[in-house]
Amino acid sequence: MLPVIDIRNVHRIYESAAGYTHALKGVSLQVSRGEFLCIMGPSGSGKSTLMNTLGCLDTPTSGTFKLEGVDVSTLDDDELAELRATRLGFVFQSFNLLPRATVLRNVMLPLIYSDCPVREREERAVRALQAVSLPEAYYDHRSNELSGGQMQRVAIARALVNDPAVILADEPTGNLDSATGEMVLKTFRRLRSEGKTIVLITHDPDVAAWADRTVHIRDGKLLTDEQERALVAADHTIRSST
Amino acid sequence: MRMRDLAYETASALDANRGRSLLTVLGIVIGISAVIAMTALIGGIKQSLVGELGLNQARLVNIYLYLDRSVTLDDAHALTQMMPEYEAVAPITYASAKTTSETKSFDASVVGTEPVYFHVMGLKFLQGENFTEQDESDGALVAVLDQGAVRNLYGKHDEQVVGKTVQIGSVSYRVVGVIESDMGGSGDSGTAYIPFSTCAARLSGSWDVSGMVGLASEDTDITKIVDTTKHKIQTYYNVDDEAIEDGTYIYTMQSVIDELDTMMGAFQLIMTAVASISLLVGGIGIMNMMLTNVTERIREIGLRKALGARSSDITKQFLLESVCLCLAGGVIGILLGYLGAYALAALAGGTMASGLGLGDTTITPAIDIHAVVMATGICVLIGVLFGYYPARRAARLDPVESLHYQ
Ligand SMILES: Nc1ncnc2c1ncn2[C@@H]1O[C@H](COP(=O)(O)OP(=O)(O)OP(=O)(O)O)[C@@H](O)[C@H]1O
Ligand SMILES: [Mg+2]
Repeated sequence: MLPVIDIRNVHRIYESAAGYTHALKGVSLQVSRGEFLCIMGPSGSGKSTLMNTLGCLDTPTSGTFKLEGVDVSTLDDDELAELRATRLGFVFQSFNLLPRATVLRNVMLPLIYSDCPVREREERAVRALQAVSLPEAYYDHRSNELSGGQMQRVAIARALVNDPAVILADEPTGNLDSATGEMVLKTFRRLRSEGKTIVLITHDPDVAAWADRTVHIRDGKLLTDEQERALVAADHTIRSST
Repeated sequence: MRMRDLAYETASALDANRGRSLLTVLGIVIGISAVIAMTALIGGIKQSLVGELGLNQARLVNIYLYLDRSVTLDDAHALTQMMPEYEAVAPITYASAKTTSETKSFDASVVGTEPVYFHVMGLKFLQGENFTEQDESDGALVAVLDQGAVRNLYGKHDEQVVGKTVQIGSVSYRVVGVIESDMGGSGDSGTAYIPFSTCAARLSGSWDVSGMVGLASEDTDITKIVDTTKHKIQTYYNVDDEAIEDGTYIYTMQSVIDELDTMMGAFQLIMTAVASISLLVGGIGIMNMMLTNVTERIREIGLRKALGARSSDITKQFLLESVCLCLAGGVIGILLGYLGAYALAALAGGTMASGLGLGDTTITPAIDIHAVVMATGICVLIGVLFGYYPARRAARLDPVESLHYQ
């Protein structure tokens, strides 16, 4: 089956006043439909850069990226925007909800950019909120009246509402305590069982444990299968010794 | 993005910083109220001018003849016959004479004319009535006084004087009527109107006319009547072009109104300059606020882009915001402008009116739909003009950087 995400030999070089930063050094990765993939790596290893590339927010300096078989580099800005509106869902570490708007309004926000008919919107938003099990009593609350875990679930509902091909989550539990984080991860797990494709970034091995597959990134490069095995083995030794 | 969504986003964004928005649009408010107050007052002055002059006055034509031959009453009548474009024409001869009542006397202007004069001039009788055609053909000793003459002869301008006798020159006349005069008869001037034939026989000693006043027919093109009239006089006297140019002075009230317009033009220019400057300052204020707005909402912009907003969606959103801001300022400005115009008219309208020679008429500001439409248009224009740069700046933001902006 055609992978949802197919990137090959992607490089990303940032140019700034301080000089060049080679953030991605030839990354290749395939994610199949219905997979829950975790990308792990230490700070500064290029996780967010990779995520932005997958989310069509950033264009690679070289290499190819195909989303559902479409070569993204051939698209213009408006087409990329449409792709983000309809095929991609984002979940951020800092939630990024509109604080003054209600929960329902926040979840409906992507729909105004995907030309969804007005009468369908509320229904779709409610369905998305049900999928993240947010109680109905909160739908009309302003989003800044919610707890962190609730906010993140609203954000996931917002990512879901357009029924995207992939949900991209950059450290979604980074701002949450472990119990709330677990609740959010359960939500992802359930979405996974409903057939959603999820790419999640973290530097926390406990979070990675929820995924089907984990890839490690170090200094802009993904570890080879061999290195992965060595890492897992090393990890075991560390764990068993403590 | 649909219009409806755009409107919703704009409304909630404006609602979020209402207080600041109000302060920002102050420049627009001042500019627009200046424009509106000015047009309302000028419109009001024009209206009361036309009202004061009476409807007839727009059709009034003054004809003065300085040809090197005399124009007699008979000539005037013959000319009148030749000019069907006039509803009525009255010949005039001027004189002046010491005029005396039982108690007082003064030097009055005397106008000898025919009864139709008062109709042509649109003068209203305050007391009594006009002298008649019969009086004219009899050379009767009757007079119509204006309020100025009444005041000079009897001390106050509203004295009941019909039936009383006044002496004009060496002869006594019976007062048959009183008409209003400019400024309610203040000043030390006054006019007595007597039949043309009486004036010719008793005062001027000649049957020559000094001029004529004509009332153009309703369907006459007033802008052409000066030339038509000149042409008729030229035909009647059979003189050359030069003689007719030098020997006639014909003007209409329209030309007086036009003159007033030019005078108002200077005032209008100053007010327009004031308004333009405050609109410019207001526009810059709007731009400044929109730039602040964009900076404050960088994360929101990044989010919207990540959620699929196109650059044009962001541009539209911020542009509509600044246009609505300006429009709100415009609406407030229009209301304040009319309010100000009414206040000014109530406080200083009397002074202004008498300064313009309108007597004690009140000036009512004119509410003009054109001015409102124009003001609204200006606001939209300012909103677009000064909102475009901030909106484009918002649209061009990089989504990744914006999302991580602190
Ligand atoms: N806009 C940018 N301009 C210049 N360099 C950048 C930019 N964004 C990221 N980098 C650099 O690229 C490298 C990878 O950054 P990235 O944000 O992808 O790391 P990360 O793995 O997400 O780290 P963290 O776990 O701390 O979020 C870093 O060295 C960073 O300094
Ligand atoms: Mg990161």
